[in-house]
Amino acid sequence: MRILVVGDGKVGHSLAENLAREDHDVVIIDKSSQVLQKSIDMLDVMCIKGNGANIHTLMEADPKNVDVVIAATASDEINMLCSMLARRLGAKYSIVRIRDPEYNDSLPLLQSELSIDMTINPERTTALEISRLLRYPFASNIESFAKGSVEMVEFRSCKKDPILGIPLKRLMNRKHRAMQVLYCAIERENEVIIPNGDTVIQEDDHVYVAADMVSITAFFKYLGRNAFPVRSVMLLGGGRISYYLSKMIIPLGIAVTIVEIKQDKAEALSEALPDANIICGDGTNRDSLEQEGLTKMDAFVALSDRDEENMIAGLYAAKLGVGKVIVKNARSGYQEVADMLKLDSVVSPKNITCDTILRYVRARSNSRGSSVEKIYRLLSGKAEALEFIARADAAYIGVPLRSLKMRKDTLIAVIVRNGRVIVPFGDDHIEAGDDVIAIAKGSMIVDLQEIVQA
Amino acid sequence: MKIKLILNLLAKLLGMQAISMLPSLAVSIRFGDGDWLAFVQTIVIICALAVPTIVITRKAEKNLGAREGMVVVALTWILFSFFGALPFVLSGVIPDLENAVFESVSGFTTTGASVMPVLEGMPRGIMFWRSFTHWIGGMGVLVLALAVLPSITGRTSHLLRAESPGPSLSRLVPKLGETAKILYTIYGALTLVLVLLLMLGGMNVYDALIHAFGTAGTGGFSNRGLSVGGFHSPWIEGVITLFMLLFGVNFTIHYRLLHGGWREARKDEELRVYLLIAFFGIMLVTASILPHYQGNLLDAIRYGSFQVSSILSTTGYSTADFNQWPQFTRVLLVLLMFIGSSAGSTAGGIKVTRIMMLVKGARKQLRQLLQPRRVQVIKMDGKAVEDGMLSLVATFFFVYMMLLFAGTLLISLDNQFNLETNLTATLSCLSNIGPGLGAVGPMGNFSQYSVFSKMVLSLCMLAGRLEIFPMLILFSPSVWRKQA
Repeated sequence: MRILVVGDGKVGHSLAENLAREDHDVVIIDKSSQVLQKSIDMLDVMCIKGNGANIHTLMEADPKNVDVVIAATASDEINMLCSMLARRLGAKYSIVRIRDPEYNDSLPLLQSELSIDMTINPERTTALEISRLLRYPFASNIESFAKGSVEMVEFRSCKKDPILGIPLKRLMNRKHRAMQVLYCAIERENEVIIPNGDTVIQEDDHVYVAADMVSITAFFKYLGRNAFPVRSVMLLGGGRISYYLSKMIIPLGIAVTIVEIKQDKAEALSEALPDANIICGDGTNRDSLEQEGLTKMDAFVALSDRDEENMIAGLYAAKLGVGKVIVKNARSGYQEVADMLKLDSVVSPKNITCDTILRYVRARSNSRGSSVEKIYRLLSGKAEALEFIARADAAYIGVPLRSLKMRKDTLIAVIVRNGRVIVPFGDDHIEAGDDVIAIAKGSMIVDLQEIVQA
Repeated sequence: MKIKLILNLLAKLLGMQAISMLPSLAVSIRFGDGDWLAFVQTIVIICALAVPTIVITRKAEKNLGAREGMVVVALTWILFSFFGALPFVLSGVIPDLENAVFESVSGFTTTGASVMPVLEGMPRGIMFWRSFTHWIGGMGVLVLALAVLPSITGRTSHLLRAESPGPSLSRLVPKLGETAKILYTIYGALTLVLVLLLMLGGMNVYDALIHAFGTAGTGGFSNRGLSVGGFHSPWIEGVITLFMLLFGVNFTIHYRLLHGGWREARKDEELRVYLLIAFFGIMLVTASILPHYQGNLLDAIRYGSFQVSSILSTTGYSTADFNQWPQFTRVLLVLLMFIGSSAGSTAGGIKVTRIMMLVKGARKQLRQLLQPRRVQVIKMDGKAVEDGMLSLVATFFFVYMMLLFAGTLLISLDNQFNLETNLTATLSCLSNIGPGLGAVGPMGNFSQYSVFSKMVLSLCMLAGRLEIFPMLILFSPSVWRKQA
């Protein structure tokens, strides 16, 4: 497909990188020739310098043949304009980043009037992800599939876990509720392992398990992890994510304390969030953090604008014994450092935005059959969890899994049939309409048939 | 410096060269002039070197930096020139290696400067190879590599940027591999049309191919001592005049002509200036050689337009000995040698875009002197040109001139020829034209230069074809220093 990315910022560049790798024709428009230079050096894309809302610039990108236009400049208004123009000039779909809360309530109207197919608000999406992590603090990452009936959870194995050193096939055999989870993938030293029966979990692995929430909770109780939801949380930084997050979790009865350094911002927040406890103070100052009762908090979320501050504050909170620490990272380069420091829950608005958009594009690019319902990327894209809905006319329907030819380094993790979660064995089969969740190393799979062949 | 990656790429590219010899091998077998063995030997030698290297370095990492890109391009061209020379040596057509390398460099860089005093009666497979190097070198070795093997390495834009002529790399479509394919398709189609038109003028297939390769790559090797003039056909001369100018046009414009029609293409500033230069060049030359042809206007136009088109497109074919023309005309032709054709074409020279930027820059500086507070932005095709680009072009021009003078100085060590010959010989090599004035005029050749001078001129040709910086970088010690 031909994809036009307007705005070569963090999200734009990362999208272009992924889309070009998936063999799409990518055209980038940006006003700054410096950032374009970087993209043209690193990626196989075409770059056009100019304003994406300028009709001449857009015409250069040949909008008649554009399949998806993604507007991700710094300005919401330019994004909307540019998407509208591109659609009028012939682009087939448009995705627009709109982040200002002011536009929140008018989104449905804007979408229909400006013919926008999808809007994305990175801060709100990130807040949603954080709220899930706060509900299940044992997970360093969590993603739900099949309309919430299956959860895939990442955790880091530690020394006293009873599952270490035992081959998975023996773990899976035990008739214990806590053992009814599927081990989807293991990350060890930056490599992804798609496990089989003989794989053994070692200390410090990142393990991804999938099952319904009851089994998952039982599993973590068995591991001796903290499975209680968070009741109180301290947020560092009073930005948009903090605002959206507070809006989401205060109604759940979680006590929110926000530490914001700027007086006017703190006042505005206090006005917008009357139920939150807003503190005007320096979040990097340990005394002020302790004074506001950090030690008594169930969770600490570092959401300031600076990645470094977030990591340091997060480490400090972890040292004080706060049960759940989540840090925001805007740049992806720090992912490995955060991992080394054992900061497990790192959220990146950039990655979340990219994943959401990629999922949309991938669904549009599939013209053949069972489209990808959901994509969740593990270890910055080295592996993916994909959700498909099986189609009635596919060759794999009704064939026992053991007689199907599986693609290398892939795994059928879970089958959901009429709301019932099946952790499949060789005798199980796929039926039409099943939700199938598969794990695949590498990326670029758009169809279930690429994974299983009859 | 990622030596392993570089070796891996070079070996793959060499393998491609071996494949590119197959058409010549077929021709030599078809005509049976006894030169087929030379090709087989060369192909075996290349494979014996390339295949083990590919196997040993197959696990090299794939990320190519800008520096490695330039180094790979420069080394590729040097290796291609060397191995491309082997058929000449092995067949005995050019027995000594230094002359054969000169001929091969001249072929790949589409210069067309020859050291062969006699062309008639040579084995036809070898002569085919000699012209075929023009065709490959014209559009570029790496463009070809990318068109057939798009996944040859990651970050391929560094390779293409170092090879394609002009200040910046323009993409026709988002994917570079696709762009390369389109470029070669247009190139091949135009060449095919040219072959057919030449055959319509009475050439046989073989001669038509030889001259189509020479024209398409803007090279200038012929299989006749008198070059295109040897055919005495106004039709052939007319067709070649037109196509030399066509191949001097940016291929982006050919692409746009196919897609958006003439209106899209006409907007291009460089194209207009290029055509104006060609038009006024032909007018001035025709007017000035009128007395030389005893006032015969038709002859003057015929010979004038051919020579101008040949020099401007840096092809170097000739239908008349312009060495004998009036002084004014000769100087005019030397000026055209500097300019060359459009960026993104198969031609050499400084390029019309760069000249335009230099002129606009000079005008800006002059105005600045008169009105120091005046704010001016230089525009090309209605878009602002950044200062970085301008200073790069100015630097390019300076280094071009320095190389010209350095080359002239070095080949003057021979103490054989006068300044006119030496200067135009160097310029002709640097701009990838072929003939110069004096002893290296259209009727002369380069065989009398010493081995050292031939090496200097070969380096000039390579530097000219790769637009200088990739070649100069090879000689910079910091490139080879070990660091991240």
